[in-house]
Amino acid sequence: MSGWKVTTEIAKRDLLDLWRAKMLLVFFILMPLLFMAMFGFIYPPTVQVNPYSGQIASQYPNLELAIVQQDTGQIARNVEAQFIQIAESQGIFRVNEMTDYSTARNGIVKGQVSGIVVIPQGFSAAIQADTQATVQVTVDQTNPSVAAAVQSEVAEIFGAIEGQMSTQYLQNFDPTVNPTFVLQPMAITSIPLIAGVPSSFEYLAPSFMALTVITGALNGVSTAISREKEQGTMDGLLVAPIPRQSVILGKIVAQTVRGLIQGFLILGLSMVLFGVVIYGSPITMLLVMVLGVASFIGVGIIVTSLAPEQETAQMMTTLLQFPMMFLSGILFPINQLPVAVQYIGKTFPLYYAADALRKVVILNASVSIIMPDLLVLLAYSVVTMAIAVPIFNRAMAR
Amino acid sequence: MTLQRTDLAPLSECAIETHGLTKKFGSFTAVDHIDLAVRKGEIYGFLGPNGAGKSTTIRMLCTLLKPSSGAGKVAGFDIDSEANEVRKRIGLVSEKLIMYTRLTAEQNLMFFGRLYGVDNAELKPKIEELLDMVKLTPFKDRSVGGFSSGMRQRMNVIRALIHDPEIIFLDEPTTALDPQSTKFVRDTILELKNEGHTIMLTTHIMEEADELSDRISIIDHGKIMATGTVAGLKSEYGTESMLEVFLTVTGRELRDSASDRVSMKAVGRM
Repeated sequence: MSGWKVTTEIAKRDLLDLWRAKMLLVFFILMPLLFMAMFGFIYPPTVQVNPYSGQIASQYPNLELAIVQQDTGQIARNVEAQFIQIAESQGIFRVNEMTDYSTARNGIVKGQVSGIVVIPQGFSAAIQADTQATVQVTVDQTNPSVAAAVQSEVAEIFGAIEGQMSTQYLQNFDPTVNPTFVLQPMAITSIPLIAGVPSSFEYLAPSFMALTVITGALNGVSTAISREKEQGTMDGLLVAPIPRQSVILGKIVAQTVRGLIQGFLILGLSMVLFGVVIYGSPITMLLVMVLGVASFIGVGIIVTSLAPEQETAQMMTTLLQFPMMFLSGILFPINQLPVAVQYIGKTFPLYYAADALRKVVILNASVSIIMPDLLVLLAYSVVTMAIAVPIFNRAMAR
Repeated sequence: MTLQRTDLAPLSECAIETHGLTKKFGSFTAVDHIDLAVRKGEIYGFLGPNGAGKSTTIRMLCTLLKPSSGAGKVAGFDIDSEANEVRKRIGLVSEKLIMYTRLTAEQNLMFFGRLYGVDNAELKPKIEELLDMVKLTPFKDRSVGGFSSGMRQRMNVIRALIHDPEIIFLDEPTTALDPQSTKFVRDTILELKNEGHTIMLTTHIMEEADELSDRISIIDHGKIMATGTVAGLKSEYGTESMLEVFLTVTGRELRDSASDRVSMKAVGRM
């Protein structure tokens, strides 16, 4: 039987085997989706201002907020009313008026409110005297994510109110001056690359696709080979009159196919569950994923060929996966990390695969744009395969 | 120990022959310059205690291991330089189940049959015939993973026969089996001989060697200690019991050892 036919037979058998392990299949899809959901819902940014409507969009809508009015003046009451109006009409906060600070503070401790705004005594008087008034904010510091959200949203709302106040003041002061010019000489308009406000899932979906496909390649081949050894079927393959390469090539093909199916399933489910929108071409995505898989299969083979039993092989691949996951820009962009650490991240093929996939999915990048990423993946594939296949063959022919 | 000239069959009638076949793992010599001559159509027993080098020898003859030195020919082809030709003509029944547990009996046999280049048209009827031979026809569409050990070993046997090999190697085929399955496998082996196959069998079960073999070699510490027909050996050592022959040749002391090297059998190291 010719080499290619044998390779196909072995690949088909591997896939059949996988198909019959339905529990495993479900697990392989659900796990990444679960991770995505977890990370997607805690991911910053906490406040986004819609460039079209100027509306403030919150990652945590309708947070409970306490407002404590300590001033008796009219201005303070007006400001309070305006705050409440803006906050509630845009679904940012649900405002609870509280009588004093310590009640409000207990509210935070009990978890009833996420923050407190205090309009202190002397607020109206200060504004009346044309001097800067103070507003005090307290946030729930046990929850940094929410705390940051509250802080910035309160600032945004007061910013809007201040804008109105200043405009009013200027018009009273000198009706000929353009208040908009004084308050904001330059307006920054944003021209978005894509329509709509991107959610964190737009970042995560292609990242997780890349992650799943690549770790699948790493683990999959490793497991497939170990299982054959332990089941004794590896002997069955080696004693058959087939070319040695076909054994490993068949596994490579099977794992690649499996990886691609997984990747596309995740993408599909992201569209349905998390509302991710794809702007790029599926063919380009396919290309990136194939190269991503190819870059890692070699590593998987080398690890398994050298490890004495599956447990060790498994440990080694896990050891590789974790730093890779955190440093390759899967969960968050790595420019937040120290430069030295960024260099480490950039040695992983996963970084390039995720980067390329993101650009294709979100920005509709063409092949020529992602060519640098693709070339790195290609180089990895060629080098690791060139090392892996002989190592595997030599380990076979002991 | 060199073979007696009278024991050697003319070379053209040898299904399996070795000259000085040796295998070393690092500093450990598992198989030490053995000479074998297995005639066509005979059942050749390879008897020895655990760790004697039986499995290593079989694995070399099956082209799963490369010899460190020496030569071997199986079905007329060199095991080192013509390995692929050897593989076309041999079947291996090892102690381990060479089956994919998630696939059905039929799917397994179809897969291996195709690897051996058995024509698709021939394959299905052949599989039915083989399953019938070992009385596993009702289990054709069941996952092999659920089979009992006796059933698995019967599957193992027919897997090795799918391409109708001239020579069949059996490595401790009944060691872990229940009495009924053991009898069945042994009867099958005799039937295969009647059909003209050459069989090389390793075992440490005396009755098995006694009952099945035409000729036997006793191996210990990687070396052949004695060779001959069952009757010949018994008369040479003046006893009716194969066990006595064996213990005389290999000694009565216990073979305890604890090696740092995990046994290849236990872990299936490549």
